[in-house]
Amino acid sequence: MSTRDKYAYYIEERTLNVTERPRRFLEAFAAVLNSSSYGPALDTYTRLTTHCGRCAVSCQLYDVTRDPQDIPCERSEMLLKVYRRYFTRAGLFKARLFDDFTLTDEYLDQMADAYYRCTACRRCKLTCPIGIDHGLITHLGRYLLAEIEVIPKALVVATREQLEGVGNTSAIPAAALTDTCEFLEEELMDMYNLPAKYPIDVEDAEYVFFPAVSDFLLEANTLMGNAAVMHVTGGSWTIGTGNFDGINYGLFYSDRMLERIVKNIAGEVRRLKGKKVLVGECGHATRSAWFVPTFGGPDAPEVVNCMQYAYQQLKAGKLPLKDEKITERVTYHDPCNIARNGRITEEPRELLKAICSDFVEMTPNRTENYCCGGGGGTVSIDEIREFRTGPLGKRKADQIRATGAKYVVAPCANCKKQLREVCEDNDLPDVEVVGLHDLLLRVIDYTGFTEEKAETDTDAAEDLLKPVKEGVEA
Amino acid sequence: METALQWARGPIFWTAFAFMILGLLRLVVITVLDIRHIMRDAGDKSLPVGQLIRTTLSWLFPVRRFTHRITYSLTTIIFHVSIIIVPIFLGSHVMLWERSIGLSWPTLSTTVADVLTILAVVTALAIVVQRTIFADARRLSRFQDYAIPLLIAVPFASGFVAMHPTMNPFPYEATMLVHVMSANILFILIPFSKISHCLLLPFTQFVSEAAWRFPSDCGTQVAVALGKEKQPV
Ligand code: SF4
Ligand code: SF4
Repeated sequence: MSTRDKYAYYIEERTLNVTERPRRFLEAFAAVLNSSSYGPALDTYTRLTTHCGRCAVSCQLYDVTRDPQDIPCERSEMLLKVYRRYFTRAGLFKARLFDDFTLTDEYLDQMADAYYRCTACRRCKLTCPIGIDHGLITHLGRYLLAEIEVIPKALVVATREQLEGVGNTSAIPAAALTDTCEFLEEELMDMYNLPAKYPIDVEDAEYVFFPAVSDFLLEANTLMGNAAVMHVTGGSWTIGTGNFDGINYGLFYSDRMLERIVKNIAGEVRRLKGKKVLVGECGHATRSAWFVPTFGGPDAPEVVNCMQYAYQQLKAGKLPLKDEKITERVTYHDPCNIARNGRITEEPRELLKAICSDFVEMTPNRTENYCCGGGGGTVSIDEIREFRTGPLGKRKADQIRATGAKYVVAPCANCKKQLREVCEDNDLPDVEVVGLHDLLLRVIDYTGFTEEKAETDTDAAEDLLKPVKEGVEA
Repeated sequence: METALQWARGPIFWTAFAFMILGLLRLVVITVLDIRHIMRDAGDKSLPVGQLIRTTLSWLFPVRRFTHRITYSLTTIIFHVSIIIVPIFLGSHVMLWERSIGLSWPTLSTTVADVLTILAVVTALAIVVQRTIFADARRLSRFQDYAIPLLIAVPFASGFVAMHPTMNPFPYEATMLVHVMSANILFILIPFSKISHCLLLPFTQFVSEAAWRFPSDCGTQVAVALGKEKQPV
């Protein structure tokens, strides 16, 4: 069997060589229950789940496929069934009396499929009267599957690079990072005469910056927007060459990796004697960084998302804006990882309302938004694009179409990639997916911050990413 | 029959009722201690308490929950309201409490009680029917999901006909026996079944949120337990 036939997504060769999977799975389950906080939730869910079906219609996937395996409660029940059978007294007792359910290889394969169809967006939790968090169950299910090596190749390869390779998921060497930052600085000079800097390895800065590292390859405008905001607001910030990657795929498949990556972030802030973690435009990077208080020790640095920072500055009157607003119609996509729990919903809207003359909402929005369809790491799996932009992305495409917007602002590296593909595959060729800072870059009033241009070569756009790309190839 | 009824509403009732109360309290205590335990070991000890209380209240009083499947939602809400109110505030029940423990409280008028009782029975049946109508609810439904509403309908239906002898084709005592015994069976089942949400619901949002509050070395501990500390990613 090839590594692509086994599951819908690619896996590594070694996944196929694991033996005694049910036993290993249960051992991992026991170990996880011992040292984490999942147990009481599983107890409560197994006790109370009423199987009422309310959650079904709130899932963007089931809403489109109408495939029973995509009903949130049905999917969660797969893992709850294992828990009930092997980890509750009633289950053990029942198993002794009757010829009850046993965990098999085949059952594990079904779980492996099910838990990567769900994006762990947690939308369905809002509609469950019992408050069952299917995102939590998917998270746990994937974690346990990872312990028997079932992990999409895209996720594990990136994590390996981050923890054991170059040090970040895009394999960008520190030297290439420095070069890229210099190019971005030149570009800011060319475009706006703005002498903004990307301060590298500066100690004692207030903020240590962790964007999704892929932004250095793909989202130059977002990063320039970040630098522009920091420059005009006089923010004290730095990028550490020891660790400059906010991406944390541990959130998608393993708490073991989650812990290690978060600890590395806290470690880099400490190394630089910084005070706070400043996360770039990325939903899951922000939510992972919110685990800094969990894993970062007693003096864990505070975590701030760059949109929160920009909004604070706007409110304080420190973010000068041009009089001309962006006139094209703009809408905002709430990344699940920051909006579902209501933690970041208003700051981006306030910023957008300040800079756009035609801002429209998608419906539903904020905590009730639809996932872009690429959540939970599925966006990194290119092999499932058809599934992602089809059944998983259809609701989002409909929403975007209904707004008639030219720009969809998606302040998340994952959402941006996914939404671009959703628009491509769902016949929305005129929609442009951008970051919030891409727009800020265009409307900040640079009067008083500019400097006379030194001799620079033009057409930096092509050169911009050259050092990075060379670095990656090397 | 007479003695059977005496037993059913005497010792059997008290045992079943006490069993329910103690069983539910046990679950509440376990749940609360679990949450405390989690928060004690958690690296991040913050909980968005205000938000959790708001969400909990929005489910305890689900006035704004009619976004989809309006009939289904309405049915379940009427069902819940009537099965909670009638047993507690029915005049003849309160009288029994007063006689046995000397406490009493305001009661429902007989008309209101009658209407609510009929609603309880009708909505119980309607829930079962609607579970079979929606493909997803049908798929999710287990035996108990059909059995429990039907079982709940029994004491309401039997209580209703017992109170209205002209509509009752069965002897009074037999009807009462069915009424009291079906309720006793329910009391015993409550702590063991999903009906325990009647007391646990206020805690579920907290449990779900607390589940994300991990100990600061939860991953490392798992690696150690599985002997994977040195294993490459
Ligand atoms: S978490 Fe999101 S994708 Fe998963 S079942 Fe719920 S709504 Fe569907
Ligand atoms: S809403 Fe909750 S209880 Fe109802 S089917 Fe979904 S998960 Fe189960």
